[in-house]
This record gives sequence, C-alpha cells and structure tokens, in this order.
Amino acid sequence: MLGFVFGEAMRDLRRAGRVAVSAVVLISLSLVAAGAFWLLSTNLGRAAADWRERVRIIVYLKREPPEHEVSALVARVRELPEVADARYVGKAEALTALKRVLGKDAAVAEQLPSNPLPASIQVTPTAAAATPDGARGLIERLEGLPEAEQVEGGVEWIERLAHWRRLLESIGLGVGAVLALAAILTVTTSTTLVLHVRRHETEIMRLVGASEAAIRLPLLLQGLIQGLLGAWFALLALWLGHHLAAPYLEPLMSLTIGLPRLEFFPPIGMLTLLGAGAGLGAIGGWLARGRRGAV
Amino acid sequence: MIEFHRVSKVYDVGPVRVPALTDVSFRVSKGEFVVLTGPTGAGKTTLLRLLYRDERPTEGEIEVLGQPLTALSRSGVQRLRRSVGVVFEDAKLLPGRTVYENIAFVLRVTGTPRRKITARAFEALRAVGLSARAQAYPTQLSRGEAQRAALARAVVRKQPLLIADEPTGTLDDAMAAEVLGIIKDIWAGGTTVVLATHQSRLAASLRRRTLVLEAGRLVKDEG
Repeated sequence: MLGFVFGEAMRDLRRAGRVAVSAVVLISLSLVAAGAFWLLSTNLGRAAADWRERVRIIVYLKREPPEHEVSALVARVRELPEVADARYVGKAEALTALKRVLGKDAAVAEQLPSNPLPASIQVTPTAAAATPDGARGLIERLEGLPEAEQVEGGVEWIERLAHWRRLLESIGLGVGAVLALAAILTVTTSTTLVLHVRRHETEIMRLVGASEAAIRLPLLLQGLIQGLLGAWFALLALWLGHHLAAPYLEPLMSLTIGLPRLEFFPPIGMLTLLGAGAGLGAIGGWLARGRRGAV
Repeated sequence: MIEFHRVSKVYDVGPVRVPALTDVSFRVSKGEFVVLTGPTGAGKTTLLRLLYRDERPTEGEIEVLGQPLTALSRSGVQRLRRSVGVVFEDAKLLPGRTVYENIAFVLRVTGTPRRKITARAFEALRAVGLSARAQAYPTQLSRGEAQRAALARAVVRKQPLLIADEPTGTLDDAMAAEVLGIIKDIWAGGTTVVLATHQSRLAASLRRRTLVLEAGRLVKDEG
C-alpha cells in the first residue's frame, strides 16, 4: 500500500504541473522570509544573552573597609536574593586595573599623589535580576547599604537589544505567516486541481471499496512532498545567503553588539524549517481534501 | 443474498420531493441471475445504487450478502463494495491507464499483495478474452472491448455479486451478445448477477427471473 500511495502522490505532482511548482516556490519564499528573520533574531538573542551574563553592578564604597570587615560586607551583599556573585575590589586592585587599561600611558597614574580610586564591590545579578525592573530593585537595595557611596549599572541597553530581537521575530513571523498562507492556498489549489483531474479514479476507488487512507493519503503526501521540497530550497537559499553575507556583516556586528560570529541554524533549527515546510504542504493537501472530500 | 423489504427512495430536489422507488420488496438467492427491467426513469439505477450503498433508502430495510445496509459504517460500506462488482453503461475505464493497469488499479487500492496482482489481473482478462489487449489504452478499444474490460475489473476480486447497469446500452447486437455471454459465464461460475436493462426484448431473451419496475414500483416478478 505504501508503494501505491507514494506512486500516486508522484503521479499527482506531475499532473499538478506548474501549480505544484508555484506552491513549492511560495513555500520556499515564506520559509526564506521567516527563516532569515529567525536567523537574525537568534544571533541577536545570543548577543543579548552574552551581554546579560556579563552585566555587572558596581557598588562604590565610602571608604576602604579594614581587611577583617571585607568578607562580612561581601557576605551581606551575597545574601541579597538578586545577587548571583559579589567580589570585593580594593583601592590598590582598582589602580592596578586602571594601569592595565591605560597600557603604555600607565605612567600617568604614577604621577598621582595618592590613589583616588574608591574601593568597590562588583555585583553579578542573577538572571532574573538582569532585567530593567530587576536591576532597578537590586540597585535600590545596594544603595541602602550604609557603606555604599554610589551604585552604578543598568541593563536598559541590553533590553533594547532584546526588544529588537523580539521585533525581528514578530516581523519574521508576520511576513512568514502571510507568505505561508499564500503557500497553503497554492498547495490547496494544486491539490484541488489534482482532485478534479483524478475524480474518475476517486469514483472508481470508492466504488470498489478502497479505504479512505488509499484515497486520501496520496493527496496528503503530495502536499507534504511540495512542502519538503520548498523547505529544502529555502534552507539552501538561507545557507547560501548566510555564507555570502556573513563575512560582510560579522565585522559590523562585532563592532556594534560584540557578536564576533553570525551563526547558521543548528541541526534542530534546520529540521524545524523542514518540518514547517512539510507541515505547510500537508495542511494544503488536507484542506483540499476537506473541500473535495466527498468526490 | 439480497433482500429488499418495503423500500422507498425519495429524492429531495429543492422543495420538490421526487419518489424514485415506492414500497419495493423482493429477495434474490445466492447464485441467481435476475434481470431488472422497465422503462427509462422507472427506478432501476436507483435500486442498483441502493444495493452497493451509493444511496440510502428513505424507508424500508435492505440486506445484501447478509449485511443490513441501513446502519452500515463507512468501513462496513468499504467491505460491502469489495464484495460487489459493478459495471455501468459507460465502461468508466481510467483513460490514462492501460487495460491491465485499470484492472490492477482495483487490486492495488483494495490492498491485494503486489505479487498476486499480475496473475489475478491476467486471469480476469483471460476470462473476458482480452489478454491480447492488456497494454491497450481505453481510447484504443472498441466499445465492446471496453465493456469487457470493465467486466474484468468488476469481477477481478472474484466478488460474489455482480451488478450490471445497462451493460449493453451503447452496444450493437453482436457486441451486446458477446458481453451478455461473458456475464452468463461469470454467473455460471457461481456469481449472483443483477442486470438492469430498459431493453425488454433483451430482458426476454435472457430467460431469467425478471423484475419489472414502473414509476418506482415493482409491478412484476416473473420467471
């Protein structure tokens, strides 16, 4: 029976001719559109996640605490629920770090009559606190510490990055959905055309007691094949686009959002696209069956 | 084999109710050859369509091959139709397939194992004398040959019941005699046959039990 279903599906595809080709092209276009936005948003998401992991809030202290009080102070900060980690940076360590940053100009720091840099605590917020609201709450708590002179840090710009990511996802979904709808309608049309062409066969099949599976599965399968072909071409186009554009985009992305590499879909992403294509095609085939199911 | 008990069929055509069959009752035993005759529009085709559950009766009970048809499920209808061969006035052969493929198609869609398809298709073709035309397309056949191919398709699964709706309606006398000869051979092999024809001369020439329909009513059951 499987051989029969596959054979009939291929015969139906040949019968649908140009309409089937149009369906494949439309499925490709919808998946290229959705896939391109998905690819961009995934990479932006990676950048945002990377930056979120690197978020630090600095608590500048009024005075450098005596050595025996440091661990108690750090422990108090760590006890806050929004804090993942806290590290004390003494005045001397801060100056060493400044010199490292200044590099060959480090001699400037040597000229200073005394170390002007304050001692501080570098706070790493938990993932939940690495949001604008979470960070604001944490900063307020840290400002409440009697030792704190000033608290600096924020995650608004990371949120802006995440916002762009969500926007890209929405645009991708919107454009992809419109094109997907067109693709489904085209598959439905091509399948309906096939149904019309094969109405005598359907009549004979019903007359001789063929099962519904034997009658309907070829239609579903031909839609599925169109969808898979469309998805395959979309993947190929996306891979080619990524391959050609990445060398030009990567320096720009690295400079602006610190993303050194624009990555392509992982295997699961590629499978998802293929699955989406197969799904679109199958839905088209199924809808046509619904419209002409009683033939 | 077949039992009609007070069967009526009314078609609703918009607001109009058109009675096609009224209070029809009869029985057909296994192995019988029954001729159904009457003028055009008497209800012959409706009666045959009720037999293979292409239509449901408006009233009454029908039993075919021991199965009451009124409450038959979809899979039950499929099982019934696998046991019933049907031929029409036009052969209804699939134009894009050869004679052999037309017959093999029926076997394939009803789940016959692939290894058995060729042998059974050719057995049916031999029975109707068409083995030599197996690779011909329907457009290359005469009307008589096309009807013989349709007969081969109808009995290829060795169905116990053959329904023939005006099988000789478009054939000349020689071709009609040929097709009727084949149907008689099929019947002689043990198949129950119900044959509808509006040609009363043909019906009489068959010398079998004859049911006469007029305006949807069974007016005569003789022979």
